[in-house]
Amino acid sequence: MTTPIGRVVATELKPATPHQFHFWTATETSVGIGAIVKVEMAGRIVYGVVTDGFAYSDLASPLHDVVGAEGDPARATEAPTARQEIRYWTAAVLRQIPEEPLQPVPLGQVYVADDADVAQALRMDGFLYSETPTAIPIGLYTSAGRDAPVYLDADFLLGPEAAHLNISGMSGLATKTSAVEFLLASIFAHFPKHKGRVAAVCFNVKGPDLCFLDQQGVLSDEDRRRYERLAVPATPFARVRMYAPLKADGVNLNTLRTHPDLVSDVEPLTWGLQEVVDYAEVLLNRDDIDAKADAFIDFLRDRVLGRTFDDGFGETHRVQTFADLDRLFRSIFDGLEIMSGGRSDTWRTHHIATIRKVRNRLSNISTRCKGLVTDDGPSSDLPWGKFEDRAVYVIDVANVDPLGQDLVFARIVSMLREHLERRDLGVDAVVVFVDELNKYAPGDGPETYVKKMLLDISERGRYLGLVLFGAEQFRSQVHRRVVGNAGTQVFGRMDLDELATPGYQVLSPATKSKLATLPIGELMVRHPHFTQPIFIRFPKPPVLRGRDGVERFPPAADVPFQDAVVRQLARLDRRVRPNQVKDLIADREEYDVRRALAAVRRARPDDVFAYFRKVLGSRIAADEPVPLEHQVVPPLNPISDEPY
Amino acid sequence: MTWRQALIAAGAVPAAFVPAASTGYADLENSDASAAGAADIVEGTELQVYPVPERSAARIPGDVSFLDGMQRWNVSVYDGVAPIVQAYIAAAVQRRDAHGIPRTTHERSRDFVIAPVDAMHPARREALVANCPDLELIPADRVGQPAQFLETVEASVRRARARLERELAEVCSESLVGDAWLVVDGLLSLSPKVARHARVLGVIKSHGQQFLEGRGLERALTLPAAHRTSVFVVRGGHTRTEVYSWYLRLWPWEGNDLLYGLVRVEARAHADVVARAAEISAWLLAERAPLATPDARWDRLLYPLHHVEEYLKSRAPRNLRLQRTSRLPKTGS
Repeated sequence: MTTPIGRVVATELKPATPHQFHFWTATETSVGIGAIVKVEMAGRIVYGVVTDGFAYSDLASPLHDVVGAEGDPARATEAPTARQEIRYWTAAVLRQIPEEPLQPVPLGQVYVADDADVAQALRMDGFLYSETPTAIPIGLYTSAGRDAPVYLDADFLLGPEAAHLNISGMSGLATKTSAVEFLLASIFAHFPKHKGRVAAVCFNVKGPDLCFLDQQGVLSDEDRRRYERLAVPATPFARVRMYAPLKADGVNLNTLRTHPDLVSDVEPLTWGLQEVVDYAEVLLNRDDIDAKADAFIDFLRDRVLGRTFDDGFGETHRVQTFADLDRLFRSIFDGLEIMSGGRSDTWRTHHIATIRKVRNRLSNISTRCKGLVTDDGPSSDLPWGKFEDRAVYVIDVANVDPLGQDLVFARIVSMLREHLERRDLGVDAVVVFVDELNKYAPGDGPETYVKKMLLDISERGRYLGLVLFGAEQFRSQVHRRVVGNAGTQVFGRMDLDELATPGYQVLSPATKSKLATLPIGELMVRHPHFTQPIFIRFPKPPVLRGRDGVERFPPAADVPFQDAVVRQLARLDRRVRPNQVKDLIADREEYDVRRALAAVRRARPDDVFAYFRKVLGSRIAADEPVPLEHQVVPPLNPISDEPY
Repeated sequence: MTWRQALIAAGAVPAAFVPAASTGYADLENSDASAAGAADIVEGTELQVYPVPERSAARIPGDVSFLDGMQRWNVSVYDGVAPIVQAYIAAAVQRRDAHGIPRTTHERSRDFVIAPVDAMHPARREALVANCPDLELIPADRVGQPAQFLETVEASVRRARARLERELAEVCSESLVGDAWLVVDGLLSLSPKVARHARVLGVIKSHGQQFLEGRGLERALTLPAAHRTSVFVVRGGHTRTEVYSWYLRLWPWEGNDLLYGLVRVEARAHADVVARAAEISAWLLAERAPLATPDARWDRLLYPLHHVEEYLKSRAPRNLRLQRTSRLPKTGS
């Protein structure tokens, strides 16, 4: 038995209860807010976490101190005897053994919890020492001079029992992104074999935050020691797949990872009409989507796209691209004008005003999201169905128009859900990391498609293995069901105003004070197994931080069209000779070159240059029509007001 | 079975009486009211008043211990009208460490029973003797006068406590090394061994007996704050050893009473004490802070002695701690 550090005391005014107790310690003590302690007496063990602390002396009145110092503060320290002081702590019960009958905490001696005690106190023993352990290290409990690993239960972090993680805190100080990066590394290292394969999809929504996950960052010796303690490799992610839309020129990548040494790893992300039209609701605001416009879009989706379609004015269309669609619209308008002499204002029961409106909005998409949405070419997409185990898929949409960000977000998450439902994604669970939840799932504001989708993941994702890791600055301003459905809640340094909101009323004033002053690298964690929040430290992530990455690998300036084409072809085949390519495309329309380039990207031929020359030689044939019963994303349930 | 349970089982009547003198606040224990003898001035020719150097100029010894004691007693049961008393006495020495925090170094206590066994019923006497490990007998002649009998008990407990303190003071003073000092709460003169030690002081805060008279007494009792009197000698007798002494005013008495903030210091009867009286007074004056509140005697009680007292109180038996319980008749038990 170790030396006791305190003793439980109870008075009539402050009694010990089954959920809370008070104890005193020596003035010099390692105990602090967040420390886990153990009370052991008469066959009962109680674990508690310190939630508040008090210090006072036997001074009956402040006036007595003034009298003793004769009114001179400088003399107050001259007193030869130190007043009797007390360090008095309040602790919330984490666990009692035995659990029944549940009784008030015995007035016994208090000990600092050791590693085994921490595991017991946080109920980690159940999933840490079982036959099929599901423990995922999240950091080290370092209070009271200890250094004990803290684990989350994979069944409650990644499903199916509970799922999702929400992390909030002040920008720059809460280290939210770093915490998620470390946790992903930890998940990849410890995800239980019996639970299958896992991958992560991270949306990079600001700056170069997630652009260098495959590059080794600088770690201190202390960080490395923590990695060792947590049994997580201190190495960057082995499999990182970067995706970024193209810029408006259609050839340069719209990302900060354009340094010549790294740009070859970035895959373009471009979608055509086929990929976009299912998500028209994302792109069109509420005012646009009236019943008539909605009906016309459905008509286009079901009867026109990918089919050979007779417009009724003698022309046949096969609409595969935005350009094809625009040709159809022009044909309809011309037909109505010429054939009916301007007397008819309906086409296939749709009013011409509705048709014009939908045409304007859809045309606008390819303009606003140029580079992401191509109005002519085929798509370059994520490897649906071929997701790799322990791979991170980073989608860099930091420089994309907000509308385009919504589209990327909505489509990728919907596709993930769809494939996970069919169990053909390639992995069994996917962690989706979304920063800035304040923006995408605000507690108030319009009901956007993205918000509905985030709600859908939050409420049903755990059954599918679709897990949301969300981050935001102000938790109180995120939709309460998105936050409430997160089984694991993590808090970095918090703003005092935020802590004053009702969501934090369950925390003691001391815990709030600690949260408001948390140092970088320290977090407060709530997890279904932990009956009280626990403070932990995590090591710096083993990857290059975005800011450092940009310094080490400065982004390259945009290159001229011809050079950009050469670069993209050379990335696919190092044998490609720049002059050969430049000569080939010198007198070609950029439009044709982009289409050829997209075809090469899609086909991935052995001889890239030969294939490029071949497809550039003539107009690129349209893709084989997609079967009509294309994979429409099931509608989301309407947002209800039910509390989570 | 405890002695009390045995007595009650044998027919004694349970009682719960906490005498006022047992509360520790009446300060009777340190009263030198019974002291005999007069004082001769040994510093100058007549009693003078001297200012004490300021606190900041005081030279406080680095190693000081403080000794204090406490007593508690109550009538636990009655055998007829004979009260059977449970008494508890304790004394402790706390040494002030480098950070100014008192740490207990010596401690003694005694939990005993005082009973007029000659006046007790034979069966109950037998039960008491058989079950009580520490029994102090008391003459039975005053049992018929309960008030007088309790005075006898009180004196008996006080004597026992004084004896305990004296023993502890002797042990502690023997262990003093280097420049270590011992400050005793109360009379120094009760133990020759302690009274002759070069680095032991007695601080008396009760003034039942005055050693001065006339102008000297007036000067002593109207001492201004931070002043002391000349050193005088307190003659020894058959129960006490000769010591040097002087009065010291810790706080201004004006607006209160003559004894407010007034302590009498005792030290060994040696010329060196006269030479160091000013220095020792400055040290004791510096001990005014921190205040020994909330003790009612804070104006004369040094905080470290108060600390020892609080320590002893916290360790006293629960049934002898001050009880502010109702004295409504106890029925059914």
